[in-house]
Amino acid sequence: MDADHDDPGGRLPLAEFENSYSAERPVARRDGIRHARRMSNWTAAALIVGTGAAAVALAHQAVPAAPPATGTAVSAAGAAPPGAGAAAPGTAAPQVGHSVATTSGSGVTTTTRTVNGKTVVTRIAPARGDD
Amino acid sequence: MATVTGVSGSAAAALWRPVPTGEDAVAAAERAALGTSARVVVWPPGNLKAACAAADEVLGVLDRQASRFRWDSELSAVHRSGGGLFLLSDGLAEAVGVALAAARWTRGLADPTVGGALIGLGYDRDFAAISPEPGGPPDEPVPAPGWYRVRLDGPLLRLPAGTQLDLGATAKGVGADRAVRAAMAVAGPSGGVLVSLGGDIAVGGIAPLGGWPVTVAERPDGNDAPGSQLLRLTGGAVATSSVTCRRWRRGGRELHHIVDPRTGLPADGPWRTVSAAAQTCADANAAATAAIVAGTRAEGWLAAAGVPARLVGHDGQVRRLGGWPAADGQPLPVTRGSHVYAWGRR
Repeated sequence: MDADHDDPGGRLPLAEFENSYSAERPVARRDGIRHARRMSNWTAAALIVGTGAAAVALAHQAVPAAPPATGTAVSAAGAAPPGAGAAAPGTAAPQVGHSVATTSGSGVTTTTRTVNGKTVVTRIAPARGDD
Repeated sequence: MATVTGVSGSAAAALWRPVPTGEDAVAAAERAALGTSARVVVWPPGNLKAACAAADEVLGVLDRQASRFRWDSELSAVHRSGGGLFLLSDGLAEAVGVALAAARWTRGLADPTVGGALIGLGYDRDFAAISPEPGGPPDEPVPAPGWYRVRLDGPLLRLPAGTQLDLGATAKGVGADRAVRAAMAVAGPSGGVLVSLGGDIAVGGIAPLGGWPVTVAERPDGNDAPGSQLLRLTGGAVATSSVTCRRWRRGGRELHHIVDPRTGLPADGPWRTVSAAAQTCADANAAATAAIVAGTRAEGWLAAAGVPARLVGHDGQVRRLGGWPAADGQPLPVTRGSHVYAWGRR
């Protein structure tokens, strides 16, 4: 590099502009950079807003709008099983009318009642002895 | 006896008995597991074999990890060591972690350190093996040492000497949650699964239209009207704790299995049965047990925790909280999130 050459702003001037460096050039360049920065800021802002909007839209599709309390299925356990909650094409949930299970006192194997002052123990043991 | 054939082609298949539900669109089977009964219900019916096999696998593993009644279980090995520092399997570490989180959530109402108290009362073996005949007097009541004295850091457990864990307030819920997850993993993306473990129910996948019809009762046969109710479970879980079952006699006293950790005695509050709904069965299980122990403070605790619940008093009166439906056929409300699983804790 020519040691005598004045290097404005760390950049090498093009040859045709070598003699045209004047007081206006840095000003014009600074204006241009400022403009570019402004445009970049607007572009970044637009990108952020767009990304946010896309995320919200995707979240609305992934999470049911209605809370589970209104009847929307949620995974029973922590990590949702693969594919849980997404019906395969052509699959329709059935209509089930009869009770299919009972939530009750924990797995009764015996129960004790008092009948005429005597303790009566009844073994219900739905599946006792099979295990 | 009819069996569910083709479950892994193993002896486990013979243990599953088909259960008639009156519905062609679903299939159900039941077997004994974890000292109680397990039921698997699926749609489409063709998923039953795979779902039963998956449930078998996880429930068998949980039994070998967390049962205090099996001499060869991991938990029994920990107890035999008399306290100290232990490196647990991932499965037992999760089960203990859930129990400790439940204790923290319920402010000690559901405390896993009641093992010693239960043993003192005579519940020292699988319940079916406890003699129905009146035995000798129970030991002096022993308050629980306290869940906060147990330390769990990942798989590392520090158990104070003499402390016996009983995971009964959460283990069935953990089992139902694991079984549903495993069944859905093998059943694929379509269909739905319901797993009931001793009356604690979790569902996964896609529920039938309007939800899975389930009976809320005090007795497993559901024949305890006017106490029973038919509701629909669209997601999550529902669990019930009751002092009307698992009862035995010692020294002229009638005892039951839900122990108040503060006294070491069976809880003697005004509620005989509590059902609770939550996103996970372990949450529901813990909440129902905690409400029984909480006694007169149960309603306040459940309301503060935002847990939909149905409480039946010793006088038969029914109290509903947190949006629990009054009418039959309604969907059960389920609050999102978990207080007991690591993924849900805030």
